[in-house]
Amino acid sequence: MPLLCPPFLSRAATILVAMQVIASAAPSSSDESRNPARKTDLAALLRIQTDVQKLLPQVRPALVAIQAGGGTASGVIISPDGLLLTAAHVPGAPGKEMRVIFEDGSVTTAKSLGLDKTTDAALAQLKKRTKPWPYVNLSREVIKAQPGEWCFALGHPGGFDKARGPVLRVGRIIKQTANSLHTDCVLMGGDSGGPLFNFSGEVIGIHSQIWEGRDQNVHVSMAPFLRSWDAMQKSQVIKIWGVGAGGYLGVATVMNDDLELEVVDVLESSPAKKAGVLAGDVILSVNGEAMTDQQQFSATVRARAAGDTLKIGLRNDGKNRELSVKLAQKPLEE
Amino acid sequence: MTQEIPTPNDERRTAGPADAHASFWLRHSAALFLFVSFSAFADSPRPTLPPEQRTNGSKTLTALSSLEPLTLACTARIESVLGRSICTATIVGADGYLLTKASEVPELEKVRVRFADGRTAALREVHRDVKIDLVLAQAVGITGLPAVSFASSKSLTLGQWLCSTADTGREPRIGIVSARRRSIPGAGAALGIRMDDKATKEVQGVRIIGIASESPAEAAGLREGDVLIRIAGEVVAQFKRVHELVNTRQPGEVIEVHYLRKDKEETCRVRLASRTKVLQNWEGEDFANGGISLRSDNFPDVLQHDIPLYPSDMGGPVATLDGQVVAINIARVDRVTTFALPVEAFWADVQKRIQADRHPPKAVPVE
Repeated sequence: MPLLCPPFLSRAATILVAMQVIASAAPSSSDESRNPARKTDLAALLRIQTDVQKLLPQVRPALVAIQAGGGTASGVIISPDGLLLTAAHVPGAPGKEMRVIFEDGSVTTAKSLGLDKTTDAALAQLKKRTKPWPYVNLSREVIKAQPGEWCFALGHPGGFDKARGPVLRVGRIIKQTANSLHTDCVLMGGDSGGPLFNFSGEVIGIHSQIWEGRDQNVHVSMAPFLRSWDAMQKSQVIKIWGVGAGGYLGVATVMNDDLELEVVDVLESSPAKKAGVLAGDVILSVNGEAMTDQQQFSATVRARAAGDTLKIGLRNDGKNRELSVKLAQKPLEE
Repeated sequence: MTQEIPTPNDERRTAGPADAHASFWLRHSAALFLFVSFSAFADSPRPTLPPEQRTNGSKTLTALSSLEPLTLACTARIESVLGRSICTATIVGADGYLLTKASEVPELEKVRVRFADGRTAALREVHRDVKIDLVLAQAVGITGLPAVSFASSKSLTLGQWLCSTADTGREPRIGIVSARRRSIPGAGAALGIRMDDKATKEVQGVRIIGIASESPAEAAGLREGDVLIRIAGEVVAQFKRVHELVNTRQPGEVIEVHYLRKDKEETCRVRLASRTKVLQNWEGEDFANGGISLRSDNFPDVLQHDIPLYPSDMGGPVATLDGQVVAINIARVDRVTTFALPVEAFWADVQKRIQADRHPPKAVPVE
């Protein structure tokens, strides 16, 4: 991985490989009872129960029900000043007013900040108050949420029901992908935006979607939240992963047969279009820095803010040229 | 769950939050499906937990093997005469007494019970408790059965493991107490139809102008445009009366419906479902639920758990990991919810009824 990646991305990628080797060689890092390699017996199950029941009173106050746009969903507070994680399909857009209900039935409001539509991650801000909000921590070690680890989910499936209260589910992680976790904690409509916890009581996922199977429950992992945190706090919408989070250029790229970064599409009225970037251009450099792959390119563009000017080195038909492009804010289409 | 006041001609609730969300969820899951498949393809293969190691996988469930004599062994399968699974029974007496979900078996004479050892028997109804949807029956001519022993459910806590049986009593399953113990209000029964509120001049009756997805009406073959003329023996001319006749009955009850289709009189038998179920599933939102029970509400006291079960698993026992049977599954409600009747809701009464059935009071000769 080139050094020019943003620190988070390169570290994650490196750790991923390293951790997998460690995990297969010596699966001893986690608590014995939750070790996926160990045969589950009654005593191990009871230890899981004890742990969940111990954590529940700590994490439960941070769970909320959300009513927005005629639908009901869930969310979780992750800071004393009221930052709220939920799923992007809950508010649907930045600046949306949402009704927030606590377990005891008390109501407040929140406004959606930014969201990442490609991964279904969203951030919102509860109405300010002097007293700190109840909150939980989010896990910054995305990589630790590995298949076989036990986890538990909270949410308001079907909507807020005061007599029933929040609904708990305990299960195991089935798969981790770049942006999501799959578990057998069974979810349904209304759970969207609710938290998935590890056994340290940290949020490791936000409920996002289901497929038909009962083992097919998908949560947004903390990866897209951590990656797009600044953009989301600035109420930006990420629609094409790798282009829109920071500065916006408006090109779609592929790795061509010669393993070069080639522009395949230039979006209408985008900064790239205005500057004269053409489909078929090969991107050689940005501000003098050689571009070798899509991740590096998109990270480089996103690391700049809207309004910044980039010098992009291009080649087309054997001729090199350099263009100055003034980055824009990603348009908020809806 | 909040219930809105129904308009009598329309069994469908005006788009309430839960309804709106259900279709909302569907729309989004379709869109996101593509995204996930793409990323699964684009990423290098990632380790996936094999099915046997998942929460309800065979390796995890071996932990429950010591409990099987107390749970699995004490169940039986209720099946149709053709051998189709209907529901599960919990054996409560060695001499053939068993409990199952009443609304799944409105006509006990039309079903039979199959025990783990392969024996089958006809069923004799001892007592049907409509209030809690539980029926006590006796397998005719059967003895030597393993019966469950019940224990108090009072000390159960949120997050406590529970185990139960799936595949009509053949496999163990595990889950947790997932929400508060409580009563579940009822909203009556429904056919799953929308009716024309304008009286038709040509024929006396009530025209159907909409049919809910997977509803009792759809299952019975009713169609849009059919005109209802007689319901449960009563001639109907107003939609309000149809609503009353249906809504005041119990889910699971079978009613006879006479209707006109293309001016020809036809008859069908409709098994009513909980109004809540019909409304929540009006447009097929239950796609990922794996089926829900016809009656899923109107219970005075239930436990809620997240054991992944199917409607045919209702009637089976629910036990703690100490092997204490504390409840009987009574309704599969949605993808994440099963209700179970705690032992306190039925056992004292059932014991009395078994006693009385074994030793009926003898007629005393009058001098």
